[in-house]
Amino acid sequence: MDRRQFISGTAASLALWHTQSLAGAVTASNKTPPKLIWIVLRGALDSLEVVIPTFDSGLLPLRPTIGLAKNQLQQPMHKGFALHPSLKHLYSWYQNKQLLPIVAVGSGFNKRSHFDGQDYLESGLNIIAHENGWLSRAITLKQRSAIAIAQSTPISLRGSDSVNTWYPSKLKHSSDDLYQSLQKMYQSDPRLLKKLNDGLALRNLTGGQKLTKSNGKFKTLATGCGQLMSTPDGPDCAMLELGGWDTHNNQNNRLKRQLTTLDDGLAALKLSLGDYWSNTAVVIATEFGRTAKENGTKGTDHGTGSALLLAGGAVAGGRVLGQWPGLAQHQLFEQRDLQATSNTFSWLATLLNQHWQIAPGAASNLFDGVSLYNEQLVS
Amino acid sequence: MITKQALIAANRFGYGASHQQLLVASKDPKQWLKEQLTAVEFDPTLPSLNDMAGYLVDYQKKKKEQKKLGKSYKRPKAHIDAARRLMADSTIQAIAMDNSISWRLLDFFSNHFSVSAQGPQMSAIAPTLEREAIGPNLLGSFNDLLISVIKHPAMLLYLNNEKSAGNNSKLARKGRGLNENLAREILELHTVGVNGGYSQQDVIALANGISGWSFRRPNNGKPAGFTFRRRAHEPGSQTLLGKSYRQQGIKQGEAMLQALASHPGTARYVSTKLVRHFISDMPDPVLVNKLVKRWQQTNGNLKQIMLTLIDSQESWAVADNKLKTPRDFVISSFRLLNATPKKHRALIRTLSTLGQQPFKAGSPAGYGDSASHWDGANALMARIDWAAQLAGSRYTRGLTNIEQQLTALLTPQNYKTVMRAESRQQSLTLALMSPEFQRR
Repeated sequence: MDRRQFISGTAASLALWHTQSLAGAVTASNKTPPKLIWIVLRGALDSLEVVIPTFDSGLLPLRPTIGLAKNQLQQPMHKGFALHPSLKHLYSWYQNKQLLPIVAVGSGFNKRSHFDGQDYLESGLNIIAHENGWLSRAITLKQRSAIAIAQSTPISLRGSDSVNTWYPSKLKHSSDDLYQSLQKMYQSDPRLLKKLNDGLALRNLTGGQKLTKSNGKFKTLATGCGQLMSTPDGPDCAMLELGGWDTHNNQNNRLKRQLTTLDDGLAALKLSLGDYWSNTAVVIATEFGRTAKENGTKGTDHGTGSALLLAGGAVAGGRVLGQWPGLAQHQLFEQRDLQATSNTFSWLATLLNQHWQIAPGAASNLFDGVSLYNEQLVS
Repeated sequence: MITKQALIAANRFGYGASHQQLLVASKDPKQWLKEQLTAVEFDPTLPSLNDMAGYLVDYQKKKKEQKKLGKSYKRPKAHIDAARRLMADSTIQAIAMDNSISWRLLDFFSNHFSVSAQGPQMSAIAPTLEREAIGPNLLGSFNDLLISVIKHPAMLLYLNNEKSAGNNSKLARKGRGLNENLAREILELHTVGVNGGYSQQDVIALANGISGWSFRRPNNGKPAGFTFRRRAHEPGSQTLLGKSYRQQGIKQGEAMLQALASHPGTARYVSTKLVRHFISDMPDPVLVNKLVKRWQQTNGNLKQIMLTLIDSQESWAVADNKLKTPRDFVISSFRLLNATPKKHRALIRTLSTLGQQPFKAGSPAGYGDSASHWDGANALMARIDWAAQLAGSRYTRGLTNIEQQLTALLTPQNYKTVMRAESRQQSLTLALMSPEFQRR
C-alpha cells in the first residue's frame, strides 16, 4: 500500500470533516457554509484603548500618561468611539460594514485571575468545567467539526470527538508502515489510537505542512487556519489564541505591537479564507478587562468589563453595540473597573442563533440558560 | 530480573533508569528511591544571576552609546549562548544524573513557580531562579523555598514587583504606584490556590506587605540581587486572611509569606499538585490527605513529604498511568538510550517543537500537568516524528541491554511488534512510542 492510499483510507474511515448538515446547506443556496472562528486574547485586553470612548471626558484624567491624545485617533466610528490606530485592516472592515465592536461586555466572572477567567470564558457555564467547552457543545448539537490551531486542545473545544488540533511541525515525517505498526500497538490504548488516527487524517488534509522560520507567529497560524477551513470538506469552526495582553507596565508600546500582530493576522486569515470569508463570523474575546485608572508602572491591572469584536463577511458591522456605562467614579465597577452592561455568553448565544440557525432555546441552553439579545448580528 | 515495582519506581517517580540501576532497584524499590532524595547539582561553570545581570548592564550601556552614534547594537553571541546553556542545563542534568526523583521534584517546583523568558531581561535571568532559589531549598521547608523564590530577582521582575510602591509610600508621591501582580499570583498559584478563600482586599494587603521588594542591578562592585527599598514600602499595618501584621519594613512581607507557607490551604493545594504530578491526573484523596498530614506534622518539610509519597501504597497502584509530558518523554528517551544530548540548542528546539520549551510556559501558572494538555493528535504526530529521528541518530550507538528492559515493560504482544520491525531504527521508534513507554 502506498502512502497516499493508506492515509486517505484512514481519513475516509473517520469521516472527520464531513457533515451532512453542511452538504445540504451548500446546495440549498449559493452561499458558502457558515464558518465560525473563535479567537481568545489571553491576558485581558484593555478595551478602553481599543474601542476608545473619545466622547467620555472621564477617560484622560484616569489615564494621564497612557491615554492616547486626540490627534492620534484618526479612525472614528459610530457614537463617538474610535478604533486604536494600529488596527488598520480592521478599520477598513468597519468601513465596509464587516466589523462590529460591542463595548462594556463581561462574561460574569467576577474574580481577577487570568486562568480562571479564561477557563470560565471557554466553558461558558456558570462554573468552570475544564473538560466541557461552549464551542464543543455547539458543534455537538449541530453535528459540525472543529479545528484548534494549538499544540493541544483548549477548553473551548474539549468534550467533543469532532475536534482536531493543528500546529505546524518542523520534523521529517515518518514512514507509513511505522504508523501501521503503531496502530497495531495502540489497540490496547484506545485514547492513543484515536489521536493517532486523527493525526494521520489531519496530516493528509494539510498536505503535511511544515514549520518554517516564521511559523509559530500568529500570522502564519491564521493563514494555516484559513487554508484548513477553506478545503472542500474543511472544518466548520476553528479556534485561535493570542497571548501577551497582560499589560501591567509599558502598556502603550506593548499594545501597539500586540494590536499590529492581531491586525496582520486577521488580514492573513481573511486572505486565506478566500470566498469563504463572505459567510464567516470571527469572534474575538478576552477573559476580562483592565482597571480604568492607570497604575504606577504605566500600565493597567486586572479589571472587569471589556469589549467583544465581531468581524467577517457574515457580520452586520459598521456600528458599535453595547450600552456605555460611563467612567465617572460612581459608574465604575467596585469604583475601579469598566462596568459590564451586557453578557458575553448572551452575545455568543445570539450569534449562534443567527449564524448557525440554532433555535433560541437551544442556543440559550448551551450557556446554562442565558437570555438572547434582540440585535441583528449577521447580515 | 527487573521487577514491575522497579519499573514503577524508575518511571513514575523519576525519568527512567539504566539496566544496571533497574537491577539494583528491583531488590528494594522504595529504599532505592529514598536514597535518591539528595541535592541537585547544576553545571558549576555556567553563569550566575550576577553574571547575567552584568551582561545586561553592559549590553544596555553599549546599546545606548551606539544609538548616540546612530548605530544599532546587537546582543553579543556569547551572551545569547550563555542564556541558552542556562535554559538547557536542568534538562541535561536530569538526563545524566542518577538521583532522578530529585530532578523530577525540581521540575515540579520550577513549574509551580513558573517564570517565562520573554524580552531580553527575562531571557537572561529566568533560568537562574531554579538554580539559585529552588534547587538549594528543594528538600528543606516549603517556607524557606517560598521566601527564597519570592525574593529572587527573576520572580520580582517577571511579576512586576520591582517597581511596585505602596500608595502612601515616599515614592508614590513621585508617580509610582502599587502593582498587585506578584501578590495575586502568590495567593492564587504559589500558596493557598485559587479556591483558598482570599479576597481582593487580601491581594492588596499582601501587595502592600511586599511593596519595596525589588532588584538591585550590579553596580560599583556590589553584586546583583534582592534589595528592600524602604521608600517604596507601604507604611502601617496590614490585614491578610483575617490576621493583622504590624511589623515594619521587610519583616512584614516575610511574616505574611511565612503564615501563607504554614496555612492549611497551602498544604492541601501543593500536596494535591504533587500527587497530580508524580502519581495521577486524578489525585487520590486518601494519598493527598497523607501528604497534608505529614506537611502539618513537619511544618512543610519537603523531604519528609516525599518520603511519605514513596511509602504510601496508593502511589504504587493507580488505575490509569500518566501520559508523559513532552519533557518527560525527551528525558526518559535519552536515558533509555543511555545517551546525553551534546547540543543544547538542538535540545531546546526539540522541546519547543514538542510544545514544552523550558522557561517558555508563557504564564505564571506554568505548563499543564495532565494528559488533556498533551495528547492532541498533532502533538502525538510530532512525538512520533521526533522518536523516529532520535532512533536514527548517533545517540543510539551506546545502546546496550535494552531488550531486557523492554521485556519487562511491554506487553508480550507489543514486545513482539517491536522486535519484528523492519529495521533497528523502526524497532526503537516503536519502543519509544509504545503505550507502555508513553505512560509512566
